[in-house]
Amino acid sequence: MFYFDPNRCIGCHACSISCKQRHDRDADADDWRTVTHLERGEYPDFQELPVSMSCMHCHDAPCEQVCPPDAIVKREEDGIVTVNRDRCIGCHYCAWACPYGAPTYGDDGLMSKCNMCLGEGPGSGHGKPPKQKAEDGGLKLSCVDNCVGEAIKAGPVSEVMEEASEAAARRFENGAYNSRVIVEPMDEDSAAGMDDVADASINADDEGAAAIPAGGSDADGGASDWLNG
Amino acid sequence: MTSSLIALETFVGFRWLPADYWDLSIPVYLYLAVVAGGAYLAGASAWFRRTLGGGGGRLEPELIRWGFLIAVVSAAGAGLAVMSHLAVIYRALLFPIYLTNFSSWITIGTWILVLLSVIATLCLVLALFGEDAAGEDGQSLWPRAVVSKLGILPTVDRLVDRVRPPTGALVALHAVGSLFAVATIYTGFELAIVETVPLWNEPVIVPALFLTSGVAAGVGLTLAVSLLFEREIGQLAGGYAVAVGLLSGVSLLIAGIGWSEIAAGGMAANASHGALTEGTLAIGVLVVALGLALPLLVGVALGAAAALGRLPRSVERAGGPLLIASFGLLTVSGLLMRILFLLAAEQHPVVVVA
Repeated sequence: MFYFDPNRCIGCHACSISCKQRHDRDADADDWRTVTHLERGEYPDFQELPVSMSCMHCHDAPCEQVCPPDAIVKREEDGIVTVNRDRCIGCHYCAWACPYGAPTYGDDGLMSKCNMCLGEGPGSGHGKPPKQKAEDGGLKLSCVDNCVGEAIKAGPVSEVMEEASEAAARRFENGAYNSRVIVEPMDEDSAAGMDDVADASINADDEGAAAIPAGGSDADGGASDWLNG
Repeated sequence: MTSSLIALETFVGFRWLPADYWDLSIPVYLYLAVVAGGAYLAGASAWFRRTLGGGGGRLEPELIRWGFLIAVVSAAGAGLAVMSHLAVIYRALLFPIYLTNFSSWITIGTWILVLLSVIATLCLVLALFGEDAAGEDGQSLWPRAVVSKLGILPTVDRLVDRVRPPTGALVALHAVGSLFAVATIYTGFELAIVETVPLWNEPVIVPALFLTSGVAAGVGLTLAVSLLFEREIGQLAGGYAVAVGLLSGVSLLIAGIGWSEIAAGGMAANASHGALTEGTLAIGVLVVALGLALPLLVGVALGAAAALGRLPRSVERAGGPLLIASFGLLTVSGLLMRILFLLAAEQHPVVVVA
């Protein structure tokens, strides 16, 4: 389970770069972890929000359900979703099924993605023993370890919930983000002084955003959610 | 406005996911698989009529052989198309070993396509060779000429007659094959279960549309090829033409319902709808609509008149080319429709409301 606090993310890309280094990814390869800078407005009413994303290791792993050769496995022992590249046929079905755009494909056409640093490199997580805590000798997640603002955390749900604020924990328990990730709501302090922006905000009804419930159901015609304040 | 609401509306952003995971080989695969099913149904229905109904005429055996031949070629084409897309082909060829997730429609579809191919090939061989086929004529018998040039035609004829199952078993074979032909509806489910793409995520509309349009194209193509050589539009051809026309009409209706649902959908649905109403894709939509409407009109009007024996002689001469042209357009539009499904696909964006 990943945890993300947008209030602490400064958009420095340390998480995605350290992920590339840990897993020996090409500089120009698709990132297992991406940092997207969402922008809106124009100066002086300009806003930018960095969003760090990777495979969420979803409890219901849509990629696993569609994978024809059972190459994708949601591990019972630690909940990490791994890829057995010795079975992958490179059909790209998982990429369509993933709500977060996590699967990536190299020159060999085989799928690779975040394995929560269970191993190093594409496919290295498959068949590994259960994830150990860092204090027990387990590999610390590079994105978590290198996040300068401590915006990203990861671990078993119970542990991550202890790190989360009451509001984030409550939303998660209420099924926000389909209970796939814990995300802190934006601090009111962060929103302070943005009344003008709020007033001038895009018409959420038109964009289909206001219809998105906290649970992030897609059935409303809204969208898959990552962050819902 | 409360402070929490201000916070809620402070930032709304969207990250659109890339949606270019599949190339054009996938719509070709999705299309040819159902065309194979439709062509098989054309051949099998003619076979049932001939065997159980005691039908006669020149067109019937032609429909049987062309139907099974198109089914075999289409199924092979579908297999080649999908394999051309894969990263590791040999694992797909070893599908009984590798494709073990039976909750995946690709696994289910692979088995359906392979079994349909095997049954269609068996039916084709039984229709092409043997004593009965040796006594017939028609353009659909061209594979016999090929085998004859190899100098093994008498041997193949004897062999096929020796292994030919009794009628009861043949009925069962063709019935099972027909079930697999209808099961090519799986191509629709392959898209319909993808919850991240609202254009596809219509568990009733998309499979129904793929089945009706694909079967219409398969039957239409079989009839068109048969009519190329048997110009006369008799009652049997009229009946098949009506069936193709009605299937096209049902496809058009389903597509219309789907179109209105997409138009009223959320962000990604609106993006798909926008893509289909603007630029090059909009032209494709018009071609698809025409490709379904024309066979409906021509197939039902000409077909019904021919089936009832009321086709004026003056119309009969132009009727064949008209049917062939409209069913040809139907065949093209079926493929184009699936290409549009791919090109207009948009995944739900990752929504940021902070």
